[in-house]
Amino acid sequence: MNSLKRGLLAAVVVAGLGTAGGALAQEEPIRFGLLQDFTAVYTFVSGEYNQGQRDYLTLVNEEGGLDGIMIEAIVRDHGNEPQRGIEAYNRAKEEGAVLFDFFSTPVSRALVDSVLEDEVVLITALHGRGDASNGEVFPYVFPMMATYWSQATVLANHIAEHEDGLEGKKIALVHIDSPFGREPLPVLEALAEQEGFELRNFPYPSPGNEQSATWTEVRHYRPDHVFIWGAGGGQPVSVREAIRNGISPGDIYSVVWLAETDAENVGADTMTGVKRFEATASGTDTPILQRIQEKVIDAGLGSGDAENVGTSYYNIGVASMAVAVEAARLALEAEGAPLTGPKLKAGFEMISDFDAEGLMPPITITARDHQGGGAGRVSQWNGERWEPVSDWTAAYQDVVQREIDEGAEAFLQGN
Amino acid sequence: MYYFAELVINGALTGLMYSLVALGFVLIYKSSGVPNLAAGAVVMVGAYAVWLLTSYGLPLYFSIPLSAAIMFVLGLLTERLLLRRMVGQPIIMVVMLTLGLEIFLRGLGPGLLGAAPKPLNLGIGLSPMIVGDIFINRAYFVGGIVALLMIGSALLFFRTRLGTKLRAVSDDHVSSWAVGISVERAIGVSWGLAGIAAVAAGVLWGSVQGVDWTLSMLLFPAVAVVILGGIDSIWGVLIGGLIVGMLGSIIPGYVDQIVGGGTRDVVTSLIILITIMIRPYGIFGREDIERI
Repeated sequence: MNSLKRGLLAAVVVAGLGTAGGALAQEEPIRFGLLQDFTAVYTFVSGEYNQGQRDYLTLVNEEGGLDGIMIEAIVRDHGNEPQRGIEAYNRAKEEGAVLFDFFSTPVSRALVDSVLEDEVVLITALHGRGDASNGEVFPYVFPMMATYWSQATVLANHIAEHEDGLEGKKIALVHIDSPFGREPLPVLEALAEQEGFELRNFPYPSPGNEQSATWTEVRHYRPDHVFIWGAGGGQPVSVREAIRNGISPGDIYSVVWLAETDAENVGADTMTGVKRFEATASGTDTPILQRIQEKVIDAGLGSGDAENVGTSYYNIGVASMAVAVEAARLALEAEGAPLTGPKLKAGFEMISDFDAEGLMPPITITARDHQGGGAGRVSQWNGERWEPVSDWTAAYQDVVQREIDEGAEAFLQGN
Repeated sequence: MYYFAELVINGALTGLMYSLVALGFVLIYKSSGVPNLAAGAVVMVGAYAVWLLTSYGLPLYFSIPLSAAIMFVLGLLTERLLLRRMVGQPIIMVVMLTLGLEIFLRGLGPGLLGAAPKPLNLGIGLSPMIVGDIFINRAYFVGGIVALLMIGSALLFFRTRLGTKLRAVSDDHVSSWAVGISVERAIGVSWGLAGIAAVAAGVLWGSVQGVDWTLSMLLFPAVAVVILGGIDSIWGVLIGGLIVGMLGSIIPGYVDQIVGGGTRDVVTSLIILITIMIRPYGIFGREDIERI
């Protein structure tokens, strides 16, 4: 099954209804709107990510739901177009969805005001606006995982701890020339000033299939370390060009969007040593993934290609739903059914030290901090898989918080 | 100086790879007068075809010619099933048809085969060719040679009997009909040849970035190449590609660091705008003068 078929033909997918739902079939299911981009810009991730989300919801339903209440996923394609996203959002809202995941920065941004007004929850894991971490200004928006700002600081911290500090170093930020690519700049600039390293950014035009001139510039800059900040097809090009220009793979650090498929494109051996920010563990060693394998995949209830189970993006999808379901569970425990947007919001803000059974760093979400602490870790490609080379950690959150507050203030001012 | 030379050389090689995409565009325009806005998507399909065959275990040296044959047939079918129905329709509707085809293919490829970028390994090493202090991109070097071979083959092809017929068709459809040339078949052949060029472009670009929908975005630099070089000129493809590639490398190489980036697309856009304003038929394009 491919993402287009899943996204377009299976307009509404009921995740795993059936075996466990019989006894409490009269209960209205909880509905999550997974309205994502299956056909345009985010296609490099959305297929596996959405598959992980739906498989996890199937697992929850197979294990009895939330006290017998099933969870239903409404899956639609918005093609990264805000107008289509708004239309899909309105339809899903009418159908009773209390949580939305657009997995698209432009669509999420376009609908922030709507979710705040409609009092439904918007999760923006690893995309969207970083300043939405401020729960006082964005009460219904939950980044839940490390924002791009926090990712940049975790990577910088790894250099500080493992590469003889940051002071005096030259770091090149090579990024796609888009708001996403420029996102880490202010935090890295603030960090450069604070920690005494030199930073220079090197943008390349979207979609990044040709970067040779950019990397000639980078080579002449002679950086000690390179951060690559892109996604999809541009990422393997960045790694290849970096290596071609004499940069050691061990000195290449990537945003979270560098996965197994990219290693395959670059060449699994060639990419050995490259590091990336990691938001969730990859592989199938964690208990949730093992139960998915047993109760969903082996039972023939999987929503996509079984080979994707355990990949980086699949696991991010699983983790995103694990957090959402945990929030729903806490909300139902505290305030009972039916689950509404405000109850779910309160449930998110009750999450404390939740790590999805080791799948992700422990997160604690509060009314003020919707990012959950901003932790992650650095992993390194070892020729076959991503291997963690640091513990789960958050870094320089004071610098990140300043940026969050400035952005939130600008939002309040209408900018 | 080395920096400038490196920008020039790698830019020229990149431009030659753009030329491969542009070649299909020119082949079709030259015979039928149709600007094929699906040229980028056809390149993407060519790359997907090679990847698909290799994923079934076929060796690359067999997958590439087989894909070329498949794409040739698909080109013929496109002309027969889509374009031929448009005879007599306004040209703008034909252009819209190719635009629709572009959107259709861009959705269909990833839809059927999955959206994740697919690897296409041609076995070209990552280590650069180093001349003095100049690093030459090995993949682009190979791509440049292939582009030169393809462009050379296209030039020679137009000296053959079939090529002469295509030239006649490109000159005047009615006169060609009058002397017994099958204009429809000639146009179909040009679509087929464009399919073969698309496989070459798709394989080379796919090996650089992986095979995914973004290959279809090569249309933009290819359009700049054909507008600058001349929309009906094979020589224009060569020279236009070199200029677009070099300017797109040199100017960002010096200006990006001053303005903070993003100048390459501006350069490409300016090439299109300025050429249309001062020499709308491009460097080598034919200037048709019509009595109004």
